[in-house]
Amino acid sequence: MSDRWTDRLSEYLDGELGAADVAALEAHLPSCADCQATLEQLRRVVARAQALDDRPPTTDLWPAIARHVGVVSLDARRARRRLSFTVPQLAAAAVALTLLSAGSAWLLLRRPAGAPPSQSTTTPSPILTNVGTYEANPRYAAAVADLERVLAQGRSRLDTATVRVIEKNLGIIDRAIRDAQSALAADPANSYLNLHLAQEMRRKLELLRQAAALAGART
Amino acid sequence: MDAEAADVALAQSGDGRAFERLYRTHVPRIHGLVRRMISTGEPEDVTQDVFVRAWEKLHTFRGEAAFGTWLHRLAVNVILAKRKTLGGERRRFGEDSGEMLERVAGREREPEHGIDFEEALRRLPDGARQVFILHDVQGYRHEEIAKLLGVVPGTSKSQLHHARMALRRNLER
Repeated sequence: MSDRWTDRLSEYLDGELGAADVAALEAHLPSCADCQATLEQLRRVVARAQALDDRPPTTDLWPAIARHVGVVSLDARRARRRLSFTVPQLAAAAVALTLLSAGSAWLLLRRPAGAPPSQSTTTPSPILTNVGTYEANPRYAAAVADLERVLAQGRSRLDTATVRVIEKNLGIIDRAIRDAQSALAADPANSYLNLHLAQEMRRKLELLRQAAALAGART
Repeated sequence: MDAEAADVALAQSGDGRAFERLYRTHVPRIHGLVRRMISTGEPEDVTQDVFVRAWEKLHTFRGEAAFGTWLHRLAVNVILAKRKTLGGERRRFGEDSGEMLERVAGREREPEHGIDFEEALRRLPDGARQVFILHDVQGYRHEEIAKLLGVVPGTSKSQLHHARMALRRNLER
């Protein structure tokens, strides 16, 4: 059974009928059991649609995606192991990497005039070769600021030794960033320095992210 | 801003691990959209294409909207482009017959009577199904749907109503 209002019920449900039509339909509804029943069913269809569950694919698509985009795929076991690292372990790794890259930058800056710049064996991504864009990215600054805020809020949950290690290594990374920025001011086109700066900035973000996660987890 | 924003920034700088975290967070919703929007072909292939495209386009994400919203829009565009190349997706808007919608609704004598809501959704004609998913499942407005699908908003409203009317008999299954 349908009448002239049946095909307008979805618009009524969605609040898309004009005021005059709303008034007319609402005057009609009390006397029309069919329209009342249909309207209720349509309401339930909408509710059902909004409650549909989302499931991941039955097979893990990440390995194939990783191959397509040229990044390394991590299996679940390795991912779990990565999460099991302690902050001191991460910090120690950050120190080692930072000292290594800071030392490289120092050597590069001290190279004799005219000597060729050292070549990185890493193939930089297009974004990394333009660190000016990366550095100026306001979302990078905002992400760092937010993670620092989260870390500050959760700081009291971390033991003193851990906080000291985190701060020490953030200081080392910040110095490496400043050194790289100073060097780039004198040699803005140097691709190694651009890459080095981008790596330090990424390293800072990653260390902050891990530390903030640890602080947040110790509730 | 949260850890996801940090992962987006890291992924934009080329960090594959950060992009993997984004993938694992968003793949259920994206795959749900794909498998409901695409009635033929392999939804896994399309989901994979969405994330490959997301990686390629990541540098265009400026953070005006949430990353999930940006990714979702990108997925809709990939799906709509893909449906043009998939077999069985040729029916144009306005050609969804009432007979087909009645069949989806599952009359007593028909074998489809026992189908559940998801299956009934899958059997909807393409136009009605896509409008229903975009509007009622994903929350798009008719004006947005009309632009995405290349139809007028009135067609989108009409298709939505037809889809709802067809699905109302499958609510209990």
